[in-house]
Amino acid sequence: MEMWSIFFLIAVVSCLSAAAWFVFLWAVGNGQFEDPEGPKYRMLEDDLPDDGNPPGATGDDRP
Amino acid sequence: MSGGMRMIEEVEDGICLCVHCLSEVVRKDAIVEEAAGGPKVFCCRGCLEIYRVIQGEGLGDFYTRRRHWQPGPPEIARADLSLFSEVVREVGDEMEVDLLIAGIRCASCVWLIERALSGLGGVVSARVNYATHRARIRWRSGKTSLEEILRRVCSVGYTPKPYTGSLFRDDLNQERRDLLVRFGTAVFFSMQLMLYTVALYAGYFQGMAPLYKTAFQFISWGLATPVLFYSGYPFMRNSLRGLRQGVFSMDILIFLGSFSAYTYSAVAVLTDGEVYFDTASMIITLVLLGRLLEAGARYRAGEAVAALMTLQPKEARLLKKAGDPAPRSAGIATLPVQELEPGDLISVVPGGKIPLDGVVVEGVSEVDESMLTGESSPAVKQAGSEVFAGTLNLNGRLVVEVKRTGEGTVLSQIVKAVEDAQARKAPIQAVADRVVGWFVPAVLSVAVMTFLSRLLLSSDPTALTPALMNAVSVLVVACPCALGLATPLAILSGSAVASRRGLLVRGGDVYEMASKVDCIVFDKTGTLTEGRPVVTDVVVTADGWTTERLLGYAASVEACSEHSISRAIITAYKGRLLAVGRFRAFPGRGVEGIIGNELVLVGNRDFLLMRGTVFNGAQPLYEQLVAGGKTVVAVAVDGKLCGFIALVDALREGVRELVGTLGDMGMRVMMVTGDNPSAAERIAEEAGIVEVTAGVTPFGKAEIIRNLKAAGSVVAMVGDGINDAPALTEAHVGVAAGRAADVALGSADAVIMNGRPGPVADLLNLSGRILSVVKQNLFWAFSYNIVAVPLAASGFLHPVMSAVLMALSSLMVVGNSLRLARL
Repeated sequence: MEMWSIFFLIAVVSCLSAAAWFVFLWAVGNGQFEDPEGPKYRMLEDDLPDDGNPPGATGDDRP
Repeated sequence: MSGGMRMIEEVEDGICLCVHCLSEVVRKDAIVEEAAGGPKVFCCRGCLEIYRVIQGEGLGDFYTRRRHWQPGPPEIARADLSLFSEVVREVGDEMEVDLLIAGIRCASCVWLIERALSGLGGVVSARVNYATHRARIRWRSGKTSLEEILRRVCSVGYTPKPYTGSLFRDDLNQERRDLLVRFGTAVFFSMQLMLYTVALYAGYFQGMAPLYKTAFQFISWGLATPVLFYSGYPFMRNSLRGLRQGVFSMDILIFLGSFSAYTYSAVAVLTDGEVYFDTASMIITLVLLGRLLEAGARYRAGEAVAALMTLQPKEARLLKKAGDPAPRSAGIATLPVQELEPGDLISVVPGGKIPLDGVVVEGVSEVDESMLTGESSPAVKQAGSEVFAGTLNLNGRLVVEVKRTGEGTVLSQIVKAVEDAQARKAPIQAVADRVVGWFVPAVLSVAVMTFLSRLLLSSDPTALTPALMNAVSVLVVACPCALGLATPLAILSGSAVASRRGLLVRGGDVYEMASKVDCIVFDKTGTLTEGRPVVTDVVVTADGWTTERLLGYAASVEACSEHSISRAIITAYKGRLLAVGRFRAFPGRGVEGIIGNELVLVGNRDFLLMRGTVFNGAQPLYEQLVAGGKTVVAVAVDGKLCGFIALVDALREGVRELVGTLGDMGMRVMMVTGDNPSAAERIAEEAGIVEVTAGVTPFGKAEIIRNLKAAGSVVAMVGDGINDAPALTEAHVGVAAGRAADVALGSADAVIMNGRPGPVADLLNLSGRILSVVKQNLFWAFSYNIVAVPLAASGFLHPVMSAVLMALSSLMVVGNSLRLARL
């Protein structure tokens, strides 16, 4: 019983870590590590709400 | 400036702002479009066209959401399809292209371009990298075409250019990706391996069932194999290459250490011994981490070089080929710059960038050379003057004879110098490599001698196993894990501190050099001073005038000009601007215009004297203002001198304290400037600097630094960014205190993000600390080997203990380096 559970756990751990590794490989292939700068600006420029006005826009907020 | 702009917009029949590009336009020249919210004003057909497209796409919010937008007309948006054919890739049944998009000024531009492109049928994805202005667009080939996409980008007012990264940068990117995958893989497998290793260690001390032991050993073997043969492949390849050339590098030691531990362990699995797979894989994982950190820093610097290269336009307007006797009969032809040769005559329109280095043959204009020379005020160019690729022609048409092309231009040379500089290593790293040169063969011979002496001195026939074990102990314990991490880790944690203080440092060698600096040279304009003039005095010399009226007249005329002095005067004036007719600019001298019926002249003394203005009694006042280190602009109305406006480039906050601190640190502080001596003296006195050299050219600055170096000083140069490029390159440590950070990083070793010179003292302090930590790390890594190798060779260290010791020595190095981050 003890032996069974240890080898079962080993199998589970191996599957989990293999999954994590494949996610990592996918992420590299998908370019997730290519542009670490962009997303923080993109966050500020997200899509418009339904009424078509950005929140807080007064119509003339030119500096 | 902002207040002034809103006010101009309200002027009924004077000057107004283009709705699209916010440039100032004279009301009667403007193009008016009746739109839903009342009439809209545009400076040119191009802006109107772009406005219509944007509105038509339902993207009108662009105008309300944009912030931090610098006014300026859009670049002439035109794209030559032939230039792009090479950069299109096929990805499955889709096409992909990388573009460099000119004209991006704010994050809203990114939004606009992405929106406009995603609205196009057939475009799968369009992503614009804000930091590098690089767009990656993917589309289905049947549904739309590259031409369509380029036209779309042009239609919203941006110029797409083919993105051609240099070979150097492609290599760097490739290397970084490769290292990332290898390192990531190593981490995942090593983490798994640690699970079983801890169990096996525990089992070694308190016993474990043979079934588990064998099972765990086999699993460890399976996990260590990809780490060794995939992640460790670069070390294997480099070692073999090195061995063939008879060079002993660090890679050999890493390869041998990990490989001997691995082979020994593999044999031990089959003969029921103890295994050290964890040692084998941890060596590789930790050293890969060090390499990855280095590659990342180099790659980021490479992006900055790409930004520098975009300064050069891709096309030129050809007037006459070198060999031809007469100008081309077909008129002006637009050619890619690569096709031009020295001797060709090209035309540069106002607002256009100069494509190549050359000499002006015809025409007078002002050229903004701040990207190369750093001086904020534009340089006057006339027949005989030299012009440089990438600089901006402001207000007149120039005919230029091409002198240098391709790699020969000043811009290309700056780029090349930067790329060369990026390939260099920290000198202390080179010392470590040199030591490794004799360390490696020494360790190898000790291991072989250990093995042979054990085997031969013992009469016991079973001596093979302990002899082999001792030899492996030597190899494992001598593995230079700590040595490989010593420099990159200290520099990494030091860099974290540096960036918290607003400093960006390019490489490890910079810290090493900076710690030895004993002489600091500051550029004046833009570094010690704000870099833009501010009006300090307005003096009236004629009866019936007030300072307010004088300033109003001057500002109204200057409002039509782009010069930095004009901006200062407009900013200083708070009232309404007057209508100006018949405006004319005289590059380097002044401007004129008609207000009411009066002819108003605003310019330097020579300009006014030439136009017949009499100075008489005002002369001493003028002399006095100039002697105070001020730039003086005179104003004359209908030939009569009315007053002076004095401008000064003010000292930045905290400069005096900085100079004091540097003096206390024993530094020799100097100032060089291209400005006139009286202005330089005034600033130097205010800042507390004694040694001043004024009136030097950008290349003269480099000469001064070369002389200082020849006299044995280690020199740091602080300049404002891309200007002072030659001096920054010449100095041991070039620090750019610039606002244009991504481009500035190109020619400097370090960049101060907020543009103020204050963090220079931090850089020097921090460098000293980092260097001492690196030295401690290297000392520890070597002295550990000096103690541990003899112990292992004499058989006192079991391989398990040497593996633990090796891990401990790495931890010591990590811990010591992290001390820096707490500063």
